[in-house]
Amino acid sequence: MSQNGDDAEDAPLPPVLKASVHDVRYFAALLRGVNFVNRGTVTITKTGFVVMAEEARTLLGTAYIFADDSQNSDPDEDNAAFEIPLNTLIECLNIFGTAGYSASASGAGGTTGKYKKWKRAGEDSDQEGDEDDARGRRQSNGTARGIDSYFGSAAEKGTGMRMTYAGSGYPLTLLIAEDAAGPTTTCEITTYEAEPHLQLPFEPDRMQGKPVSPVKSTHQLRTQSSWLRDALSELDPSCDKLTFIGNPPPATNGKQRRLADATPMLRIQAAGTFGSTEMDYPNDRDVLETFECTRPVSFSYRFGHISRTLRAMQSSTKTSLRIDDGGLMSLQFLMPSPRAKTEVAADAFIEFRCLALDDELG
Amino acid sequence: MRFRASIENVNTFFRIIQAIEKLQKKCIIKFSEDVMCIICNSEANEGGIQVWSQIKVDSLFTSYRIQSNAANVITMALSSEALLATLRSASSSSSASASSYETEEIVMKLAKKNDQAVLSFEISGMTRQGRKVRVAHDVKIDVMKPADVANLKEPMCPEPDVHIILPPLQKLRPIVERLRPMSDFLAVRANNSGRLQLSIRTDSVTVDTEWKNCKNTSRAAAGSQDPDADAEQRDPEALFSVLVSTRSFFKFLNSHVVSTTTIACICQNHCMILYVYVGDLADAGGVLTFYIPGQLIDE
Repeated sequence: MSQNGDDAEDAPLPPVLKASVHDVRYFAALLRGVNFVNRGTVTITKTGFVVMAEEARTLLGTAYIFADDSQNSDPDEDNAAFEIPLNTLIECLNIFGTAGYSASASGAGGTTGKYKKWKRAGEDSDQEGDEDDARGRRQSNGTARGIDSYFGSAAEKGTGMRMTYAGSGYPLTLLIAEDAAGPTTTCEITTYEAEPHLQLPFEPDRMQGKPVSPVKSTHQLRTQSSWLRDALSELDPSCDKLTFIGNPPPATNGKQRRLADATPMLRIQAAGTFGSTEMDYPNDRDVLETFECTRPVSFSYRFGHISRTLRAMQSSTKTSLRIDDGGLMSLQFLMPSPRAKTEVAADAFIEFRCLALDDELG
Repeated sequence: MRFRASIENVNTFFRIIQAIEKLQKKCIIKFSEDVMCIICNSEANEGGIQVWSQIKVDSLFTSYRIQSNAANVITMALSSEALLATLRSASSSSSASASSYETEEIVMKLAKKNDQAVLSFEISGMTRQGRKVRVAHDVKIDVMKPADVANLKEPMCPEPDVHIILPPLQKLRPIVERLRPMSDFLAVRANNSGRLQLSIRTDSVTVDTEWKNCKNTSRAAAGSQDPDADAEQRDPEALFSVLVSTRSFFKFLNSHVVSTTTIACICQNHCMILYVYVGDLADAGGVLTFYIPGQLIDE
């Protein structure tokens, strides 16, 4: 077997992609979010790269990873694309067992949800909670899972990774090292020619003309990410249909409460063989940061598809959910990034687009 | 035939059997006057892995008495699972046992109950309330005939090409764990200047993990017969490689619970021998020797 970790750089052609990260966990968390089918398409652009995966021509998951100073990506040709087995890529990143599942869902501190604290204390004991430092503890309030172990251990050195891709037909080469003294791993993952993906354009025009966006979340949605996650993980896995019902927020007057009781602003309804579940979200700033909805809507989705997004949701910090006129749902998850210091680079995020079930359209 | 001993170091015994049990549900234990040999040589083992271990009696037992017509050697075949369960209940380490008493003494002896030979373990302990308890476990055994014992042969191996001290097995284990689903075969390569590589190669991925600065040991230290054969002529950078079954290598890594130092020997394209030392290398209480035959697939 060959060991040409460095050969790729010696090759006459300059590589199409060169990237490096200090800590593979963030990168691995992003890839895991879209790892609902094995084959993903990676598109390299000037600003970073995009990983896409689709299922049943209905669900499209896209992870946007932007280059910042911790990564250096200098593609020569724009939009080079290849397909890659995501499972293998993630396993390779996790070769030292350091790209663990406990990806963070902690954003900037602020909203504290005391009602969740007990849950966290329970988690704490079986994760590496002892390592929590004060900062981790402060940020952890209000988020349920895994977060703090993540930030608590941020002090310890992460596993670094360097990635090169020489161009079409070449493998993706990863060089992973834990520290200078430890072992280094060279992975060469076979790439395949990219195939065209499902196009699901989300129409912002339609949203403005005849705006139908039950929830549009813009800022400080850390609590919301966990709110949605908790709601969905509560559902029985045997459910097959999930309906999102949105109603315009009631006018702010004295009758608000009574109206809100009558028509919930946001209701999630799950139906399956063994019964159905309804969950209403209250009109509460703590729960829904922003909420826009112009006329009542109701769209159903296959639960199997929505549950595909859970993995990304679990490690995300903020969630935005939009539904357009035709029922196309766009779920955006803001993913944690190593440091907040970079003003230039945008935060990485994962977007899912899912088509509504047809029978509800009539 | 008489045999009786008290187990002094029950945790070590427990861990050794723990490593063995993962490999084979039935094992052979040969007690002689100064060593205990645990042998796993079933042909049906994954990838043909075998274990031939020697543990010094002093490191595990006290008041050890053995007598038999076959030169004071008793060889028995027994279920490693049952032995492990017995030792778990006797073990005082809190993680391993959920027992409600503290073990004070464990006596192991050969006995016959209802015409069935058993290895009987008598555990005397003290409950938290200060009451004395006695727990007895009988592990069914088959005493092997001397003729059958004589047929037990260690695998023959050529003189290994390279001896290298492996990094801590706890560090190796997660890596091999990731490689296991990706490939059935694992190439292990090492040279005489401290380099060790684990690699897999499949249609979809090639993964090489390399350690530098491992230590090579002299051949004599690893117990070989002719130490000087052609050591000078060899190129210290030349890599020797062997292809083994990933799963059997992973099973060997289960011995991380007991290991302190592990020496790997590679016979190029033939087999791999792993010496897992129990206790310090200098004052080894025993050594578990794993033989992993090489696979002839590609290369």
